[in-house]
Amino acid sequence: MTGMRIFWSTCPKCMKGFVVAWELRHAKYKLICPHCGHRYLPDESAAIDERHAE
Amino acid sequence: MPQSKKARPKAGRARAPKSLGTYLDRIRHDPAEFRTVSRTANPMNFDVTAVLGHLDQRREYPTVQFSNPLDMHGKPSRFPIVTNLFGTRERCAEAIGLSRSQAGPQLGSLLCDRIDRKIRPVTVKNAPAQKNVLTGKKADLWMFPAVRHFEMDLGAVLTMGMIAKPPGEDFYNITFVKAFPESASRAGLTVHTLHMSRILREWEQRKERCRVAYVLGHHPAFWLGTLNNTPWGDNEYATCGGFLQEPVRLVPSVTWGKEFLVPADAEIVIEGEIVPGERTVVNPFGDISLQYQGQQLGPVMEVKAITHRDGALFQDIFSGHREHMLLGSIPREGTIYNHLRNRLGNVVAVHMPYSACARYTAYISIRKVEEGQAKNTALQALAHVPNLLAVVVVDDDIDVFNEEQVLWAINFQVDPSRDISLITNMRTPSDPRALGSTRVIIDATRPGHIAFPTRLRIPQSALERVNLGEWLDAAKGDAQ
Repeated sequence: MTGMRIFWSTCPKCMKGFVVAWELRHAKYKLICPHCGHRYLPDESAAIDERHAE
Repeated sequence: MPQSKKARPKAGRARAPKSLGTYLDRIRHDPAEFRTVSRTANPMNFDVTAVLGHLDQRREYPTVQFSNPLDMHGKPSRFPIVTNLFGTRERCAEAIGLSRSQAGPQLGSLLCDRIDRKIRPVTVKNAPAQKNVLTGKKADLWMFPAVRHFEMDLGAVLTMGMIAKPPGEDFYNITFVKAFPESASRAGLTVHTLHMSRILREWEQRKERCRVAYVLGHHPAFWLGTLNNTPWGDNEYATCGGFLQEPVRLVPSVTWGKEFLVPADAEIVIEGEIVPGERTVVNPFGDISLQYQGQQLGPVMEVKAITHRDGALFQDIFSGHREHMLLGSIPREGTIYNHLRNRLGNVVAVHMPYSACARYTAYISIRKVEEGQAKNTALQALAHVPNLLAVVVVDDDIDVFNEEQVLWAINFQVDPSRDISLITNMRTPSDPRALGSTRVIIDATRPGHIAFPTRLRIPQSALERVNLGEWLDAAKGDAQ
């Protein structure tokens, strides 16, 4: 029912969350935390919320 | 307090080509339309959006010039920031040569009429925009006072327009594109329009670099000319000329010469190339829907040269607020109105309300003479405007610019089981907006197929007969 799929990643360094497009969930690109600038792979997130309506 | 390093030359008294400076000269005397901030502002630390946010809460929408901002290095910038130019319908009307009284429901249609008044651009040799030419390491994106708008934004962003042309063609497309300067010479981009996306895709399929000019500042009519849904192949420099009511003056670019022409009267021009196949991380960015666009991959622009006027101004759009909303809503209102007028002939007014960020919902009033017309009207609008998610159709006695009246019609004239239609499996918007690929039509016109109450009204003859000034007793304290 929703538009483009997103997930929330929690930065392992500053523990703050931000929204990410689903295209980056399993890509090999490092995310950039907008709060502290830390770069990390999605699987290194302190937490991930990837719930999605079917 | 640091001052701008170079004084801006005075715009000529007569016949000066239209520019951001000539426009500001028209409004800078009026504090309701133009305010300045002289103290040092750090746009990376939200100083700019905090000022604009306070004004927004006061329902004041002046253009604001920050005369002494810091650049992305944290040093005093030579470029003052000018923002919120498009904050009111009245300023948008005046920018294209209309009067303030034409800023009401007819503005969108009047604006769209300008699309057909194209004026061919002219090429000049000496351009104000190339008074200063920076190449190599001097072409530093971080010398700009780029604004970080919202707390979860990835960083500072350039919010103005990019010019490109497709391979093998000689027409230019101009589109608002966000650019995130990730270093002095590279920026990640987010592109949202079909034509610009197609141009980038065609260059990429050839594995060739796409030449672009990123323009930071021009007369508001230039920008309003870029917003309309023109056919593929239209030279948007000519469209912008129609909005400016004079030819856009162009000059050969510093990097590619006559093969790529850039606006001679811009404030700042970044000449760059988009690298085929290369992507970088961009976003989050607080966008029009008042939500953050998620972090994603975007194409990369490499800077080749930066040129600017003496005393150039750095223009920014206050994303997610009135000017951003009006930039989209006025052309869309006109596009829908003109389309419905031509196809169905029964449209009275179209409004895209701020409550739906002036993009995603249209309120349309019609002169209904038979059942089913409302749905036909809504389907035409949905098919004609991408990303329009909901359409509410009302009778012509409802003022679509008065949301209370529209909501009244929804509350008291809609049978949900009959009058609300879901149109499924349309194109999904590129953002996590709630409706996804589904569109909603609400027929809030008065039912004509059953006996139905009518909206109360005071007789028009009585309203015309009673002059309030003559009927009300003088209030206490009024001069006798």
